[in-house]
Amino acid sequence: MVVRIRLARFGNKHKPVYNIVVAQARSARDSRPLEVIGTFNPIPQRPTGLSDEEARAARAYKDISLDRSRAKYWLGVGAQPSDGVWRLLHMAGLIEAKKVPNK
Amino acid sequence: MFKWLNAQGSEFKHHTPGETNYLSKLDPKLNEKNANGILEKPFPLNLSFRSEPILSEDLRNEIYNRVVRMQRSVRGVSVELGVDMRRVAAVVRLVELENKMKEQGKSLAIPYARAIHEMVPTTPLYDDAREYRSNPHENINDLPVHRLTDPQIFYPVSESRQFNRIDAGRAFSGAPALLHRDAARMAAEPDETIRRITQGDFRQIETVGKGEDEQQVLLPADARIPHPHLIANDRNRISHGMTEPGLVRTKYYKRLDQEMEVDQKRKERAQQRRERTIHKVQPENSRFEFRFRDAVVSAQTTGANGRGSQAPGHRYGVPSYDRKKGQVKIPTRVKV
Repeated sequence: MVVRIRLARFGNKHKPVYNIVVAQARSARDSRPLEVIGTFNPIPQRPTGLSDEEARAARAYKDISLDRSRAKYWLGVGAQPSDGVWRLLHMAGLIEAKKVPNK
Repeated sequence: MFKWLNAQGSEFKHHTPGETNYLSKLDPKLNEKNANGILEKPFPLNLSFRSEPILSEDLRNEIYNRVVRMQRSVRGVSVELGVDMRRVAAVVRLVELENKMKEQGKSLAIPYARAIHEMVPTTPLYDDAREYRSNPHENINDLPVHRLTDPQIFYPVSESRQFNRIDAGRAFSGAPALLHRDAARMAAEPDETIRRITQGDFRQIETVGKGEDEQQVLLPADARIPHPHLIANDRNRISHGMTEPGLVRTKYYKRLDQEMEVDQKRKERAQQRRERTIHKVQPENSRFEFRFRDAVVSAQTTGANGRGSQAPGHRYGVPSYDRKKGQVKIPTRVKV
């Protein structure tokens, strides 16, 4: 069975927070995973403590915490990231971007 | 009610600028004024309450001017004008807000503010800088009582030894006493000792206890106040003030500058540390920035059963008592 790196949804209604987890592919989304390697907050945060000019130019940010060494290990032993996690890991510089087949 | 309003109460309908308009005006026993000629007890049934002065408009503008236009440190301005650092910071923020409102063309409640300022005691902007020292807006060296100093401790000390604030801090936090050699050295040069604590490396503060009980050794009160350099200055004034007042002043400004420089460096280092640990990505096809922080998954953080509180992410098998009855979510403590 495939081991996947995927997101597990926590938080309340309209306030999602995700754990980035390593789990068996056929297990339920929020069941206890093999390992939690980070979190992903999809709600954009406004950066604070900036001057007026900086605040105008600043982008809202999405907060991610990730244990890079564990992520590398699980990728190395063949864990398959889901599409969402693939994008995050690509941004973190751990894997190549996913090739999207032309339609 | 109208009987009172038409009889005694009619006195309060219009106020006299520069004088308070308090109910205690009617009571001849309470009608005593303070040194500045101001009636300061507003409530006839609560005599221990005194109305404290607020910042006058001039003083408020002067604070903003010094901090923002002249780029002086908040700490320095607080010392010079005898105003608490937190109040100085609040003044800067509020004046900033006021300026923004003016820019946006919003109307300000100026007549209201003027009327209030006429009716409550205010601290004026003095011409003579020495007035701020003798007659400060608030006592800037007030120290909140530390929880560690609550218990009464019976601590036997040999009569031949000097027991000072540094030793008291150690006794309160249960740390072993200093070596006689170190204690003597610290007592011999108190200014230098405090400077080393407040401007040195904070990571070098000693700790006692193990694991979860580990805590920092309580510092002497001289180091915990917001303006430690004031004590050094007072010590200097007492020893040299009469003979060489100029030297004391130059030393004081030098100390302030030194402190500002160290503060600046500390801020820069903190900023660098933050930037080192956070990896920021701005993809071209996204409106957002993605910030990657480092998490640690290890036996220390997740624990033997995988439920450690230090582990990243939401925990499994640990119920959240968020919605349970009796959970107080109002903060019970304010960190100053």
